[in-house]
Amino acid sequence: MSILNKLLQIFIMTFLALTVVFFIVQSMPGDPAFGLAVSIAQSRNMSLDKALEIAHNIIGYNPKEPLILRYLKFIRNIFVGNFGYSTYFKTSVNEIIEKALPWTLFVISIATFIGFFTGVTLGAFSAQKRSTFIDTLIPTIFSIIQAIPAFVLAVFILFVGGVKLRLLPLGGAYPINMNPGLYPGFILTAFHHALGPLLATSIPQIASWGLAMRGNCSNIIEEDFVRFAKIRGLPDSTIARRYVRKNAILPLVASLAIGIGYMLGGHTLVEVIFNYPGIGYYFGQAISVRDFGLLTGLFSLIVIGVILATFIAEILYSIIDPRVKAQ
Amino acid sequence: MKDFIRPIFKNIKALIGFIFLSIFILMASIGPLFIPLNLTSNFAERYQPPSLKHPYGTDYFGIDIFQQIVHGARSVIGLSVLASLFAVIIGSIVGIIRGYLGGVISKLLDTIITIFLVIPSFPALLIMAAIFSDKSLNIIAVALIIAMWLWAPLAKQISAQVLSIKSKEFIETSRMLNLGTPYILFKDIMPLLIPYIFINFITQLKGAMEFSVGLMFLGLAKFDPTHWGVMLNYALYQAGALYTPRGFHYPVIIMLHIILLIYGGILFAQGIEEVYNPKLRRYE
Repeated sequence: MSILNKLLQIFIMTFLALTVVFFIVQSMPGDPAFGLAVSIAQSRNMSLDKALEIAHNIIGYNPKEPLILRYLKFIRNIFVGNFGYSTYFKTSVNEIIEKALPWTLFVISIATFIGFFTGVTLGAFSAQKRSTFIDTLIPTIFSIIQAIPAFVLAVFILFVGGVKLRLLPLGGAYPINMNPGLYPGFILTAFHHALGPLLATSIPQIASWGLAMRGNCSNIIEEDFVRFAKIRGLPDSTIARRYVRKNAILPLVASLAIGIGYMLGGHTLVEVIFNYPGIGYYFGQAISVRDFGLLTGLFSLIVIGVILATFIAEILYSIIDPRVKAQ
Repeated sequence: MKDFIRPIFKNIKALIGFIFLSIFILMASIGPLFIPLNLTSNFAERYQPPSLKHPYGTDYFGIDIFQQIVHGARSVIGLSVLASLFAVIIGSIVGIIRGYLGGVISKLLDTIITIFLVIPSFPALLIMAAIFSDKSLNIIAVALIIAMWLWAPLAKQISAQVLSIKSKEFIETSRMLNLGTPYILFKDIMPLLIPYIFINFITQLKGAMEFSVGLMFLGLAKFDPTHWGVMLNYALYQAGALYTPRGFHYPVIIMLHIILLIYGGILFAQGIEEVYNPKLRRYE
């Protein structure tokens, strides 16, 4: 019953959020097919009105159709997995998503993995060295890192790694003369091209996971059961590993899923700066050329991603923490 | 009010943060009076390194970077403070109403908060900026657009706090004395939330600053050519800086100012949080 209830809730939430997405994009000025119509008019040498008609046909948009019908069509399409048509790239948004999503997930998942484990290890270490120099140094460094917006870090890495030292490529996910595939040479260049975005996304994550872990550990060290374990004469390493860290990490594991969901959208500027062809890069392109179809499709994808991630986080949390399940 | 402010300056983090912020606020408020802005290009002096004549050097057009930084501070700080203020006001009002009232209104507000939470702010903000980019917006309009995507987490936290305060005995007493909802909301509940709201105002500044610099960086909301985000955009894209290491100091100086300003805010917020959250003070 409660699972059914939850699913219904997700369904309604998705529906409402997509409604907001639709109306936000609809309020952008201009005809969504205008760009496409201009290029058709030029290439086929016809009048703009006629080209506009053809363009409307291609993207399935009828300006005389009432807003509410267009809205219903949009919702129906999303729920059957059709994200619309991109007028700028002249292809379906699904095709762009198929091309772009793997690169974004590649960078996000590795960056989150590195960020989470490095951050959690350093955070726990810092909390363990309470009232020593280390516990001042590590949080200070983390705070400074937190003051650096991800895209500022991205610009910095691009300048130092790409321009000054000429170590990083200035764009793309792999060289254009290479065929994508799972052979060692390609995997190596893929990592090389992803290095910039990877650094720019994982370094801020190290800081935020680290600070969260340190806070949790410091709270748990004060708890009675830790004190009792000390009185029982357990060695410090056992207490740190089995009593403190295990309890401190639980809430973080659940937010891990939410973090990945939000990064689908939060990654936009980093991908734009590195010209890395993921979801965020295409989102930036769609904004700058006013590609309404692509914009709506990608934005819907991001929102659905966040909702799913939140749902997964809740399930994870109830598995990890039996107290939540009991309620 | 004195009791509210004095402990802040006894905390070293809050003090350092306050000094950082003060320098930037001075720079923004009276800096432009003393340092004139000369935006005429002078290609003979392109990409000069920092010197006595140009403390921060010059950019691609030979324009003094220090002057631009000083004049840009006004719009960077003004915009972030306004956006953060609007976000905190909206978030507090929605949160308090959602927490205190029950029934249909609370359910409705809950749904609205959740929708704003699941729609990622930055992409939404980009679209909003694109909607209005044809019209020239003033600073208040841009701040409101940014605030629209910042308030939801605060509203959620405030409503949780109000829910827990609501069931305390002294609220019951006020209710039994028939003091009325406005009295309970503003005289009983509000004062307890003020330190919390203030900390949030400072932490929101970080988000507001990131968002506004990001927007300007993408060139989606142009109202000031010396805004640091616009400058960073020029440093990266306009001047061909990606192909020459000569102008390296230009973006680095802009980044350094963005980071120092946000770091000042973070230190100040951390300090205040330690002062008003005894649970944190215990570890110092």
